[in-house]
Amino acid sequence: MFTLRRWWDKNALKAGLIFLAIGTAWGIRQTNGGLIDEAYQVITRPFQSPSTQKQIENAYVLELQQRVIELENQNQKLRELVDYEEGSSLDTTTLAAVIGRSADLWWQQVTVNKGSRDGVNVGDVATGPGGLVGRIVNVTPNTARILLLSDPTSQIGAKVSRSRSTGYIRGETGSQATMQFFEKIPDVRPGDVLVTSSFSRLFPQDIPIGRVASIDRGTSPAPEAVIQLSVPISNLEWVAIHPYEPKLDVDAAPAQIVTDDNP
Amino acid sequence: MGGFAFMTSLRPRRRSDSRNQIWNWVFTIGSVLFCLLILPMRLPGMNILGVGPNWLLIWIVAWSISRSAFESAIAGIVLGLLQDSLTASFPTHALGLAIAGVLTARLQQRRFIREDLISIALIIFGFAIVTETAVAMQLTLQKIFDSDNALYAHLGSIWQHYQRVALSSAILSSLWAPALYYPLKRWWEKYAVTE
Repeated sequence: MFTLRRWWDKNALKAGLIFLAIGTAWGIRQTNGGLIDEAYQVITRPFQSPSTQKQIENAYVLELQQRVIELENQNQKLRELVDYEEGSSLDTTTLAAVIGRSADLWWQQVTVNKGSRDGVNVGDVATGPGGLVGRIVNVTPNTARILLLSDPTSQIGAKVSRSRSTGYIRGETGSQATMQFFEKIPDVRPGDVLVTSSFSRLFPQDIPIGRVASIDRGTSPAPEAVIQLSVPISNLEWVAIHPYEPKLDVDAAPAQIVTDDNP
Repeated sequence: MGGFAFMTSLRPRRRSDSRNQIWNWVFTIGSVLFCLLILPMRLPGMNILGVGPNWLLIWIVAWSISRSAFESAIAGIVLGLLQDSLTASFPTHALGLAIAGVLTARLQQRRFIREDLISIALIIFGFAIVTETAVAMQLTLQKIFDSDNALYAHLGSIWQHYQRVALSSAILSSLWAPALYYPLKRWWEKYAVTE
């Protein structure tokens, strides 16, 4: 008992400090680094550049072109289908500037300067000039963290706008991604525009993603395509955030989720 | 954290000592905060293939080089948890940074390394690969044992990504190492002398 007491007298401060350090780090981790994100937002505020207007306009024109293609295809489908349900249009919560990138090398994330104070919620969808950017995974009062679609862990249900062939897109950390088709012989050509499909649980349908760069028909079980993402992921400066509720109960009522591809 | 060694000695202190001590703490915690805040930035020259230097690794090497393995492990865990908070709680960075800290302390105790900038750059090159391996191993184990919740669809894609990340992180971290290592080291040395 006495030796224990003496050990405690000698090491109480040390033990307390260790406990404090780990406790603080644990606490910050449990709050998803909210404090650090907020501090980062305050410190980088002077450097948050206003957008380079021209770049955005160019990318915006590209996005509009892709949207027009998508709308034309949709229109054509509409004539064929009698019981077509109208696709949901996106409301925009807010525009946000990108103020930081991922804090390690394994995640493809960006931090933006709008948070719950501006009505941003976890699960919301972010689009940028050119199309889909990703979805919100963490929110603090003045910042939000977006998991980019180029992250290898994000998988997005997608379809070829022209032929309605469906599959899913997996990020490859760069400006390109891989798409795996569900069909054995999909109707797809290089240059085809891809949009999010109605099978996607985490994203609303019909947001432009990119174009088909090349197709590898030799892979098993289904062909793969290399996708050129239309959003300039590496020098992204602004994103628009749209409210969205992820459809996580897909098993409950699949009939309600499949709206236009499988009437 | 600034010096467990002297704090445990219970000799009476002068006032300037305690003031020094406070400054040491401010500097230590401030430098960690600085590293955390610089992590999400991609300034020109700090960027290969969208990957930046691993500032926390440089910090942990500077910290561990003149401390015991235990102190290094604790610091590694603390920094790892902090980095987790900025990304995601799995895979944790605490493991890799703790390993890097312990190994640095052990290497130093065996006098395998000298403390000039070239050897520091080499050590950091090696440990950058070690820390990234720790992350890749966690992802691989998750894929093998808990395939349903695995973050990556294929083992191949983990290790493909690992190659790219480990190499560019190692190069950038070792090149940027002196910028952070030198001031930290100088401060802790100067502080130890005044102590």
